[in-house]
Amino acid sequence: MPPAIHPVDLLRVLRHQRLTPAIVFLTSRRACDEAIGSFEHRQLPIPPTRSTAITDVLDHMIAEYPSIAGHPLIPTVQQYGVAAHHAGHLPSWKIAVEELMRQGCLDAVFATTTLAAGVDFPARTVVMTQSSVRKNRNIMELTVNEIQQLAGRGGRRGKDYVGFVVVTPSPYIDLGPIANGLTNHPEPIDSQFVVSYPMVLNLLKAHSIDHIQPILEKSFAQFQLNQRADAYETKLDDVETQLETYGRRECADWIAQWQSFSLAKKRRSHHRRKTQHDPPEISAQLAFLTPGRTVELSKAHAIVLRQYRSRGQGAPMLTVMRSGGRIIEYPASAVTAVIDEVIDLTEARRFPWCTPQSLNHAIETLEQFPARLRRLPIRVDQDGADNPVLTETLKDEFPCPTCPSRPACQKDHPQALKLRQEEHRLTKTIHAMRTELWHRFQQHVEVLQKFGYLTPACQLTSEGDWARLIRINHSLLITELIRMGAFEGITASLLAGVLASIAHDDDRPASFPGRHPALTSTLGQVRKIAHSLSAYEEPPLLRWDVAAIADRWIAEPTLPWNELIRSTTMAEGDVYRLLARTLEYLSQVYGLKATHPGLAGVARDAMDLMRRDVLQELP
Amino acid sequence: MTNDALAKHLTGLPVRLLHRLAKNRVHRHFRMGKTRLIQSLLSLPPEQRSEIETTLTSFLPEPPRPSKPSKPDRAAKPNLQPDAPSRPAPPSRQHQVPTEAAISTQALLEGIGVPPPQPFKPDDWQREAINCLATNDVILSVPTGSGKTYVAIEAMRRAIEAERTVIYTSPLKALSNTKLTEFSQLFGADQVGILTGDRRDNPQAPILIMTTEILRNLLYDAASGEIDMRLDTLGLIILDESQFLADAERGVVWEETIIFAPAQSRLLLLSASIGNPEEVAAWIGSIRSTSCHLIQHRKRSVPLRAAYLDPSGKLAPFFRTRDIASGKDFALHPETKRLFANYEDRTLGPRYRR
Repeated sequence: MPPAIHPVDLLRVLRHQRLTPAIVFLTSRRACDEAIGSFEHRQLPIPPTRSTAITDVLDHMIAEYPSIAGHPLIPTVQQYGVAAHHAGHLPSWKIAVEELMRQGCLDAVFATTTLAAGVDFPARTVVMTQSSVRKNRNIMELTVNEIQQLAGRGGRRGKDYVGFVVVTPSPYIDLGPIANGLTNHPEPIDSQFVVSYPMVLNLLKAHSIDHIQPILEKSFAQFQLNQRADAYETKLDDVETQLETYGRRECADWIAQWQSFSLAKKRRSHHRRKTQHDPPEISAQLAFLTPGRTVELSKAHAIVLRQYRSRGQGAPMLTVMRSGGRIIEYPASAVTAVIDEVIDLTEARRFPWCTPQSLNHAIETLEQFPARLRRLPIRVDQDGADNPVLTETLKDEFPCPTCPSRPACQKDHPQALKLRQEEHRLTKTIHAMRTELWHRFQQHVEVLQKFGYLTPACQLTSEGDWARLIRINHSLLITELIRMGAFEGITASLLAGVLASIAHDDDRPASFPGRHPALTSTLGQVRKIAHSLSAYEEPPLLRWDVAAIADRWIAEPTLPWNELIRSTTMAEGDVYRLLARTLEYLSQVYGLKATHPGLAGVARDAMDLMRRDVLQELP
Repeated sequence: MTNDALAKHLTGLPVRLLHRLAKNRVHRHFRMGKTRLIQSLLSLPPEQRSEIETTLTSFLPEPPRPSKPSKPDRAAKPNLQPDAPSRPAPPSRQHQVPTEAAISTQALLEGIGVPPPQPFKPDDWQREAINCLATNDVILSVPTGSGKTYVAIEAMRRAIEAERTVIYTSPLKALSNTKLTEFSQLFGADQVGILTGDRRDNPQAPILIMTTEILRNLLYDAASGEIDMRLDTLGLIILDESQFLADAERGVVWEETIIFAPAQSRLLLLSASIGNPEEVAAWIGSIRSTSCHLIQHRKRSVPLRAAYLDPSGKLAPFFRTRDIASGKDFALHPETKRLFANYEDRTLGPRYRR
């Protein structure tokens, strides 16, 4: 998105306040190009002397890099002293812009934030228009590191007394993160260590499997993991000291012993009676809540008519008669006190659960009761397990019921169990941290053994010996393709096409008109194989359009660069990067010349054909 | 209280108190300048407004007590008096410590210009880094543009004088090319070579430039004994942009390079400011034969200032202070807050407006 201020106005203000030269960081390539485009037909030209200076520098650069000549942005640069610099441009153009900037010819360069590290030239002013950036389809806030990287381009040593960061709003801005990024300490960095197949093969070529673990332990990843593990170790020591305070018990592992004992207790009692679920104070009461018993229910007295269990939950229930002869059902827990009075009731099997005479008698008695009655003290046994019958049966299997440390165990067990679990958890985490890298290495070893690159003794097979030379992404796919003979009799252009589609990992949309059947069918095969390997290696995008670009560049050795660019919607810089990467992949295949002379020869041809025109300008 | 009276009271208050009044009542009050704050406080609904009026009276200084000559010690030792209500604590304290006035745009833009050319004199830390490299590995974590390259060049010069070779790695091919031009001009084209995935220019030169991946591959080959380049004369490895250690895809290559770097060659890591250079130094020190010396500072060689540019073309200081302070406590310039609040009001829909 463009900034809210018009680029021309932005430059006018910067010039007026003597804040030029400036680097303006924008959100997208398109915004950069549009900003440059908006300078046309505006009355903001630079003096002719500066235009000539720019032309001089450009001529100088063109002599070295012919691909700059005829660049569509050159007139704008000459007239207005502004330029765009982003990944969509050829490296030669970016070098030219950097040179112009270094010579102080330009007033502003519009660049994208994504390539801040690639913008290796300073200016007096850095203009920031955003506080967040798009990364892989997500909008992410700029980190302190990134903001400082951007702001760091402001102020040229030896050329400026002072540098500036100018913040100007765009729809992607909030001032907080920027202010924070300018003032705060940068974030700490973390290791991003990953184990890859080429790494495993190359390590095992040089060292025996017994020496690998010490090598992995030298990594920054392990260093950081160790630091975290050390922190956990301190915690673990803490837990262990706490556990020691419980002292010695009769049995060595009293926590586990008590744990299994209480589990057994629970299980037995469950089989025995459901009532065991009742809270102890209720189950203690239940024995007294017989028909005729007087109870206290919310400060009034009542007489129990019957005791039963509810159908669903099996909760203990009471049918009581309250003052005035009201017959009501209550859960047993509603009873606040049991009174030391029992009246005679003749029970009946149906409502009202007693004979009418005894009911009348009960009503009368209830009315005559004084307000205060003697409560029945009920001993509540807090330990439900103290059920003598239960203890008796468990005595044969466990020492606990008769053990002298029993009260101590019973008291300490809940807390001790928590500590013990914490101890286990910590031990496990620490172990995982110490061995994580080694574990990942072994997983890769297993895959390589399965495919026959490694012997069961973890030595390189003859296949592994050449496969280790492929040290790029998707190495497993490439070596498997070679082993399966997918490249047998392949042409140089087709090989380049396939490798290009493996190398290209950008899903920025592009199109390329026309595909030819040989490429399509080869890519189809490659896709199948990549899919079959997807459990071991993330399959590449395998786009046919990028394959077609590389294929055409080699198949037509007289094709000029501009012609190739015109046939696709991909940006020039992207095509350049694609072909440069393909060259790298080809050179890896060429590295197999000792074992696969035929294929290496084809790769050599492809490289020779590919390196022409623009691709020859830079090493 | 009438509108005018209230407005008068509010104008008399410091902005900090206005923000306190506006808290939880006015949306995004912290972005507003004084005038807008007062306006929005005045336009609050009646019940909130009466709250403000009551709070306001507690802020206002107490009417001066009729002076009683019989109690001179009261004024002398006010802290000993337990009856707190007589002390309107918050306002008096705030008036005692007047916040520094925010700087003006003019002051911000003062001193722009080109310094006269001066003979280059290396900073202390630069000399320290070069001297340390004789015996130790060195990590340089300093702000961008403060002269890391000088250290690299000087260290290279020393290595060449000692008849040692140098490998210089950068994360991007584009940067490799820039460095090739730069070093060729300094040391002569025959002294500098470049290695890329598919091409080697002048590979026997004492200074070799390559991407870190290429160096890693060289070290792989060296480990398995099939080296086609002499690594035993390698005296110095310079890893530029070492903060790539934290790159999700490529960071592992930097780690491998540091792990497998030959024991006799010194490492020089050039890095932008990172949060934990001590940790990286401790790691390298723990796996290499010598200790790793960390040189870090956060002072920029050219001071940096920040400004806010409104879409209308008006320029304002970004912070209250002229230079960018370091640390968590920053204060945006009131003018910037006001301009940005206006911008948001204009661009965000009426839904967000309060």
